[in-house]
Amino acid sequence: MERRDFIKNSCKACLGVACSSVLVTLLESCASLPVYKTKAVNGVMSVPVEQFATTNTVIASTTQLDYDVLVIKKDDGTYKSLLMRCSHQDQPLTATASGLFCAAHGSSFDLDGNVTKEPASTPLVSYKTIVETQLINIYIK
Amino acid sequence: MKKTGIFLCLLTVALLTNAQILTREDSLANGMTMTGKNTVLSGYGQVKVNYDLRQETGEASLTRNVLFVGHRFNDKIVFFSEMELENAKIGGGAASGELSMEQLFLKIDINRSMYLVTGLFIPRLGIINENHLPTTFNGNDRPFVETFVIPSTWREIGVGLYGQPRSIPGFNYSVAVVNGLNAGRFQFGTGIREGRFEGNRATASNIAITASALYYYKDFRFQVSGYYGGSSGLPKIEADSLQLQSGLFGTPVSLGEANIQYHSNGWQFKALASAVSLPQAFSINRAYASNTPEMITGAYAELGYNLMYLGKNKPKQNLTLFCRYETLNLNYRLPVNGINDDFQKKQYIVTGLSYLPMHGVSFKLDFVYSHTGNYNKELYVVNPYTTQRPFYQDNSYVNLGFGYSF
Repeated sequence: MERRDFIKNSCKACLGVACSSVLVTLLESCASLPVYKTKAVNGVMSVPVEQFATTNTVIASTTQLDYDVLVIKKDDGTYKSLLMRCSHQDQPLTATASGLFCAAHGSSFDLDGNVTKEPASTPLVSYKTIVETQLINIYIK
Repeated sequence: MKKTGIFLCLLTVALLTNAQILTREDSLANGMTMTGKNTVLSGYGQVKVNYDLRQETGEASLTRNVLFVGHRFNDKIVFFSEMELENAKIGGGAASGELSMEQLFLKIDINRSMYLVTGLFIPRLGIINENHLPTTFNGNDRPFVETFVIPSTWREIGVGLYGQPRSIPGFNYSVAVVNGLNAGRFQFGTGIREGRFEGNRATASNIAITASALYYYKDFRFQVSGYYGGSSGLPKIEADSLQLQSGLFGTPVSLGEANIQYHSNGWQFKALASAVSLPQAFSINRAYASNTPEMITGAYAELGYNLMYLGKNKPKQNLTLFCRYETLNLNYRLPVNGINDDFQKKQYIVTGLSYLPMHGVSFKLDFVYSHTGNYNKELYVVNPYTTQRPFYQDNSYVNLGFGYSF
């Protein structure tokens, strides 16, 4: 490789890295969904109600499940829990404040777990979710 | 005889039970991730009747049938495979179909935010490449830009890393290394499509790197992706004799693509632009006389509306009226030893209806209008057959068919 090409390619690479860093910083500045790590005891995951003080969606994570669970606070004050696993081919889903999306094949789901875009054809797995003494209990078994 | 029949039935039932063959719904009901090993059968396909309004001829074909088999070895490693039969039949006739593996890979979970795939897989390039089930796109045919500019479905052997950092909700990325292309098989008028190996004894001495960034924001999905790889995997002595650059990225091919999609309240919109660059097209033409272009470009935009939303909130059925405009130029820029053909400048308008009475089944009716530049007579048949059809720059077709996925 000639010196001129080397300098040109190096500059391009640096520019690419710089642009990527700026893009990542910009994206990080977007409101992120909080992640709450917890343990399931006797098949029940618990998330404190206070986690929803400033948001309507929290990702609950436990090592006892292979996928995270999106916990959604509904307008009527009840809660819904959805397993973040695409019902099409079990890919992990991306959650945003407006729904859940599968980056692999394009399926999307609303915050009730219903399919809004194929190829998925069945709703997401949801768990019974009950508020008990300031804890949101998610029954995963 | 009767006893033998009963025995065979019982044996079949026993084998099926032991093999734990489940439908997707069964696997969900049984909690696939909680209970361990499972095998899943699934599939998709489409049937189409095409009518050429200019020539007043029609063709009916079972376009494709794909059988999916997946198996979960444990909670970290999953096997995926898709075997595709195109046009119903292989062998035994002149106009034969094709049997091929569309995908065959292992998915290995690293953690909840990252996984690896290795084997024959489809990198994230464009929209249709990964999302090609017939129930997910409008029209009987896949967009022409994603057939001739991005050669979907483009699968190669390699390893890919996919992820979604938790600190950036909505953001997904992928990086993959796959085998390269074969410049010796490029055909004028089909872009780089014929240069794909698709897992069939690919040269691994030339490789390619692909990467994508995907971001969901509200009802929008933004994606950019790229490909850079070598197209000459020949031994050095052979490449030298053809005056081609060999090595990992020798005789390079690069492809860039950006797309946007929007879905909300029955409205759907998507747009995609892509370009392929072959900076050493001159050398490829000198070696293979294939009239390979230096650059290929294409773009399309599609707008659709689910008519079932008229008067209903969140309807269960889908009747989408859509219109798509496509433009592509398969010889956008030629090297000095290339020959221009305006026929490769193509525009399409596709409009029609897609009716999904339920998830997984789609009935499709569409009208395709195509306009091309005039063809370069020097590039085609010198002494035409007496039955050769006259050339028209404007043509139109009607397609009727259905697709399914389960």
